[in-house]
Amino acid sequence: MADLTTAQAAGASPPGDGMSAATAARVGRRALADPAATRRRVRARRRRDTLIGWSFILPNFLGFVAITLIPVVAAFALAFTNWDSYNTPDWVGLKNFRRLLHDESTKIALRNTVYYAVGHVPLTLLASLSLAILLNRKIRGAAFFRAAAFFPYITSMVAVALVWNMLFNPASGPVNQFLQWFGVAHGPGWTTSTDWAMPAVIITSAWRDMGYYMILFLAGLQSIPKEQYEAAEMDGATAWQRFRTVTLPGLRPTTFLVLVLLTVQSFKIFDLIVVMTQGGPGRATTVLSQRIYQTGIVDGEFGYASAISVLLFLLVLVLTLTQFWLNKRRERS
Amino acid sequence: MTTTSATPEIVPPVPRRNRGQGSGLRRSIGRVVGYALLIAAALAVLVPFLWMVSSSLKRDNEVFTIPVQWIPHSFQWHNFVDIWSQVPMGTYLKNTVFLSSVITFLQVLTGSFAAYGFAKTRFRGRDTLFFAYIATIALPWQAYMIPQYIMMQKAGLTDTYTSLILLQAFGAFGVFLMRQYYMTIPDELCEAARVDGLSEYGIWARIILPLSKPALASLALLTFVNTWNDYMGPFIYLTSNDHWTIQLGLQSFIGQYDSEYAMMMTGSVLSVLPILVIFLLGQRYFIEGIATSGMKG
Amino acid sequence: MNRRKFLTMAAAAAAAAPLAACGSSKSSGATGAKADDNAPVELSISVWSLASTPEFQALFDAFHQANPNITIKPVDILSNDYETKLTTMLAAGDTTDVITVKNVIDYAGYAGRGQLKDLTSAATSADAAQLSGLASFKEKDGKYYALPYRQDFWVLYYNKKLFDAAGKQYPTNLTWDQYADLAKSLTSGSGQGKVYGTYHHTWRSVVQAISAAQTGGDLLGGDYGFFADQYAMALGVQNAGATIDFGTATTQKTGYASVFEDKQAAMLPMGTWFIAKLLADKKAGKTDVDWAIAPMPQRPGGSGITTFGSPTAFAVNKKARHSEAAEKFVKFAAGPEGAKAIAAIGVVPALLTDQTRQTYFGLAGMPADDTSKKAFKPDKVTLEMPVSDKTSKIDKILTEEHQLVMTKQKSIDAGIKEMGSRVKDETS
Repeated sequence: MADLTTAQAAGASPPGDGMSAATAARVGRRALADPAATRRRVRARRRRDTLIGWSFILPNFLGFVAITLIPVVAAFALAFTNWDSYNTPDWVGLKNFRRLLHDESTKIALRNTVYYAVGHVPLTLLASLSLAILLNRKIRGAAFFRAAAFFPYITSMVAVALVWNMLFNPASGPVNQFLQWFGVAHGPGWTTSTDWAMPAVIITSAWRDMGYYMILFLAGLQSIPKEQYEAAEMDGATAWQRFRTVTLPGLRPTTFLVLVLLTVQSFKIFDLIVVMTQGGPGRATTVLSQRIYQTGIVDGEFGYASAISVLLFLLVLVLTLTQFWLNKRRERS
Repeated sequence: MTTTSATPEIVPPVPRRNRGQGSGLRRSIGRVVGYALLIAAALAVLVPFLWMVSSSLKRDNEVFTIPVQWIPHSFQWHNFVDIWSQVPMGTYLKNTVFLSSVITFLQVLTGSFAAYGFAKTRFRGRDTLFFAYIATIALPWQAYMIPQYIMMQKAGLTDTYTSLILLQAFGAFGVFLMRQYYMTIPDELCEAARVDGLSEYGIWARIILPLSKPALASLALLTFVNTWNDYMGPFIYLTSNDHWTIQLGLQSFIGQYDSEYAMMMTGSVLSVLPILVIFLLGQRYFIEGIATSGMKG
Repeated sequence: MNRRKFLTMAAAAAAAAPLAACGSSKSSGATGAKADDNAPVELSISVWSLASTPEFQALFDAFHQANPNITIKPVDILSNDYETKLTTMLAAGDTTDVITVKNVIDYAGYAGRGQLKDLTSAATSADAAQLSGLASFKEKDGKYYALPYRQDFWVLYYNKKLFDAAGKQYPTNLTWDQYADLAKSLTSGSGQGKVYGTYHHTWRSVVQAISAAQTGGDLLGGDYGFFADQYAMALGVQNAGATIDFGTATTQKTGYASVFEDKQAAMLPMGTWFIAKLLADKKAGKTDVDWAIAPMPQRPGGSGITTFGSPTAFAVNKKARHSEAAEKFVKFAAGPEGAKAIAAIGVVPALLTDQTRQTYFGLAGMPADDTSKKAFKPDKVTLEMPVSDKTSKIDKILTEEHQLVMTKQKSIDAGIKEMGSRVKDETS
């Protein structure tokens, strides 16, 4: 890092701003000789770095722009129109958004979606992290246990919904019978009750997703050098301390990944709800994706559906932005 | 770059040498209990799959009975034979394998390539662009499904595999996953390589890729599974029956007034098996870590 | 920076894309099909679950026999999400010639958007005069955009053996109270061997549509007080354990076919489409239930048999490539030959004349008793759900509140009141 200080002293721009540390150092040394040539070289270097960076991104980015970005922007534009999917859209400005403010069903869907996310994200994060740590060892049959953890994710959604509905059956299901042992005489109605349907869905989906995110955590755990564990062990750290000082910090990029993905996917939840409760009973488990689907495809009001999508998007954007910002702060410290 | 293993046994804590015989016994009991719990949990987690297997061996009317019958009255083993002739399951399987493989390969390739750009190169606006990328995952497909379809229709790509491949091979998910993993690889490694005269592309191919096997394996697995189980994409974009994938084939057992649930479950069971095989074969790649601090090499 | 400019252009292009898509309507409406009537034509028809819906193939085969120069290419779309895919395809300007209209809610959408060809002349011709369910396809402007080929209505199925075992007389002309009592007395056993007196499926029509039909109430009106009696009856039967409770039936995806064919229910109010399945399953040996049909129970003091039904229709895509041939097919399917073709496989045609009724009852396995025949000749068949631009929204509201009432999360009165206020608020 000494090279950097020299470079900075010479007036070259600090790294992280178009240059790598080594090149900054080199530039710094030459800068002491000829400032104007240096600036030219710096600009050329920066241009080169930009070109190189973009050349890496371009294949994926071009595909992304053509296939995804254009329809997404179209969807946003449609939020300001009335469109029935067939005839020419009519521009209506903010009318759809004003309608959103009075739409009870969408407000309920928004509340349910947030409720679902608040329950699903921590639960799944905890479950998948625990599983990854538990199963990241060379014990006999580890492969079988890891496969078992992943099974819920690859099992047919119909089977998952049905079996869990059975487990949650208020009268005959094992869950309520289990609760009876603990003295709960009349267990909750779960998916047949408006109060308990969402918790039932949250539990089911956490169970389903934990294997998926476990895989991400397992991969992340491999990036932590074994020497760090050994060093901590030699310093006399207990398992819990090793977890806190070595594992957790080492997992930060992966935890960030899982957190963002979990948040985004929680707000988009659709399939499990449709198969498990159809959004019911009543509107107890109706979520925003369903509102978008209902108003768009079923009612034929695509402009309004797009407005709801914009709402969903802004919500997730704010949350993701916050997570990005917090993560950047933690990275710097 | 192999690991020196001092991986602890399943039961904590690391026993100190001079504990005596009592700890040995405690360890064994602890281990047995631990295993028992794990096996019980694994079985619990497999219950829906067991229901699927049980349903696949029933007659249609017996699948959704009240109350549920876990053991079929009469085992309809022939379901597993009939399904191949009742719908063109072989064709569907072939199509699904093709689609999943191509999309997985492209996702991993373009994703890891782009991730290097986002993680290891520097240019203005890099992080903002990355954030914008990720932000687009936030929109549910119901929102932009029709504009996207119209676009594909204009390009003449409906009812082709190209449309699905284009749709899914350039996802932000792969970029995100690989970028996070690359960020755990120390910059000094890349620096050293640059000093040695390696181009950025060389660094990516010769240094970064080999080091990120766990992430590549997990990305490949998750992309493969998601494509394999994808229903909506193939449903909207593939019309001719001989282009259909397994998921569409399974749904074809659900008619308007009449559904063959037993057959559908038979197909679902068959559909899970290839993924299971791939998982068991590939899961050692995201376990066997090659993580070192990197400075030795 | 270039990126900002690019994004602005992309946004503009993206916003213009749907406009461009819609604006460029290929005016292939009246194609050269008029030129030569016997030129070979390949007609594309959108259908659902072709393999498990035999009526389509029966119609196609009959039509091809009558018109050898026209071959039919079915566009097979999975039944569950038929509407989603069709809406998407049509949005992109798809040129499938004949559109099969699954239900009137879908029809309201397609017709309302102007995606279907005007078939008024065919609909008001003498041939179409006897089509039941035709009125559903009359749009606000007085024009027709589809012709029904199939009309199912609701009857009461019952299991003769279970009635015999309980020593009860077969139902002939029940009132709802008699029906409820009968259901309670036919319930026996518990656990695995329980037999329910009846089975009420979870669709809202089981309560709401029959109530509207028999009281003359307006399902689109916003005032649903007329539901009260029917809900009281349904909940009474449920509370007495004479039918599977709504919550369980919904969450465990109970199939009415399984329940009836496995002899778990003695009675079953259901649509006539079930007859085809019963005939096929009995023939294939999948069940041996001894069944017959009776008219739906009626309100006390009502005259005649009133039930409800829903038609299935064919329509012609406005962007069809072979518009004339398409219209020919639609008329064929709604006509006597189409009716004959589908009656032969146990499907109830919209053209239900005495002759088609005779063909129908001549099928092997059909109950031959007088009550069954009477059930097939209801005096009045009202629409399950009237057609309007508000239909899909009202349908959703009524379904949601129905769930709340049947799972007892809301009282009948509170539920009915909420239905009314929501319909008025949300469809203004």
